[in-house]
Amino acid sequence: MDPRLQGLLVGILFGIVLQRGRICFNSAIRDVKMTKDNYLMKMALVAILVETIGFHLAAQLGWIKLNPLPLVPLAQIIGGFLFGMGMVLAGGCASGITYRIGEGYITAFVAAVFFGVTASAVRGGPLSFVNSWMGKPITTTDNPGGLYAAKDGAVNLTIANMLNINPWIVAIIFAIILFIVVIAWKTTERKVSGLDWITGGIALGLVGIIAYVSQKTYALGITGGWVNLFRTTTANLDLTKPIPYNWIGMEIVGIIVGAYIASLFAKEFRLRVPKDPKTFVQVAIGGILMGFGAGSAGGCNIGHILSGLPHLAISSIIFTVFAVLGNWFMVWYLFERR
Amino acid sequence: MGNDVKPTYTLDERGEVCPVPDVDTRRKLKEMKSGEILEVLIDYALSKERIPAGVKEVGGEVISIEEIGPSEWRILIKKL
Repeated sequence: MDPRLQGLLVGILFGIVLQRGRICFNSAIRDVKMTKDNYLMKMALVAILVETIGFHLAAQLGWIKLNPLPLVPLAQIIGGFLFGMGMVLAGGCASGITYRIGEGYITAFVAAVFFGVTASAVRGGPLSFVNSWMGKPITTTDNPGGLYAAKDGAVNLTIANMLNINPWIVAIIFAIILFIVVIAWKTTERKVSGLDWITGGIALGLVGIIAYVSQKTYALGITGGWVNLFRTTTANLDLTKPIPYNWIGMEIVGIIVGAYIASLFAKEFRLRVPKDPKTFVQVAIGGILMGFGAGSAGGCNIGHILSGLPHLAISSIIFTVFAVLGNWFMVWYLFERR
Repeated sequence: MGNDVKPTYTLDERGEVCPVPDVDTRRKLKEMKSGEILEVLIDYALSKERIPAGVKEVGGEVISIEEIGPSEWRILIKKL
């Protein structure tokens, strides 16, 4: 099957799960601090647990090579923090603003356009010079178990290949820790009309594994998809040198379609427009910060958090820490100061 | 239930970006007096699920959630 068709189908599945699970990493991170509500956080942890085992198993079976994202510490620190701040302003993480387009959110559409344009500018566009400020990726030549994808012998850093031990050891310890946290941390009560945290988490994890086996080079992502859509559609108007749409670009289209279908069936589709026009300015600034952050850091909350943490990639661990800090800082600034 | 209760204040949070409905509701509840009723109009299912859990912390109790249109709800909250 054409990879683009596969990307579209995986995207539709992803969009349905996101919409029915109401999965938003911005809310998940924020609620833990602001309202002491861990419902979405636990859903995300379950998904990461499922993927940690699934990704390593798929690599062990030879279906994929694990391909952790490149470690550029400054990029993940600065990019993570900016991304974390941006998603509070935008009213959603990268996946959140994408699937909410399908639910009829006009602000999500505005945020996503500014996110995509800025990320495209940073990745190979007029803002790409910022990447040289961040430095070069740090890699290793150790490839324990041969599970990792190597480029000219260089492998992107994970906890396992940094210590040069079998990736399964780290994966199993991480999975056990996640399992204990999920069991021991009391779930905030919530009357859900969509997927509950266990079902939603498992479904999201399974979509992530399917995505990896389908796309081969990586699991789910958002930033790369928006960059592909914008670049292909607008950047090269010379039709003799086309830039093709790819798996991840079509995945974005699929997410919007999937969320649209799911929200129609659930009678939750509705064009939602804020009353105060200033809200558009706020979400646009949020989108720009997110695009700059995810563009330079090499991934967003999906590429780095959902798909990156199961790799135990050093880049993704740093990004996650700083995205959480950026989110909490902006939540405090906007909502908790007074 | 809830239709005969007269709200003291009304917040129209339809169209607002997440988490503004939740935050506005909690802020309003904090400054309200005991016994007063807050009416919140929302249009997002996630807010409908999250507001009841979030208001407990600021001394509120949801009296009713009523569907008033397609993906539109009216929540009545009493300050305890």
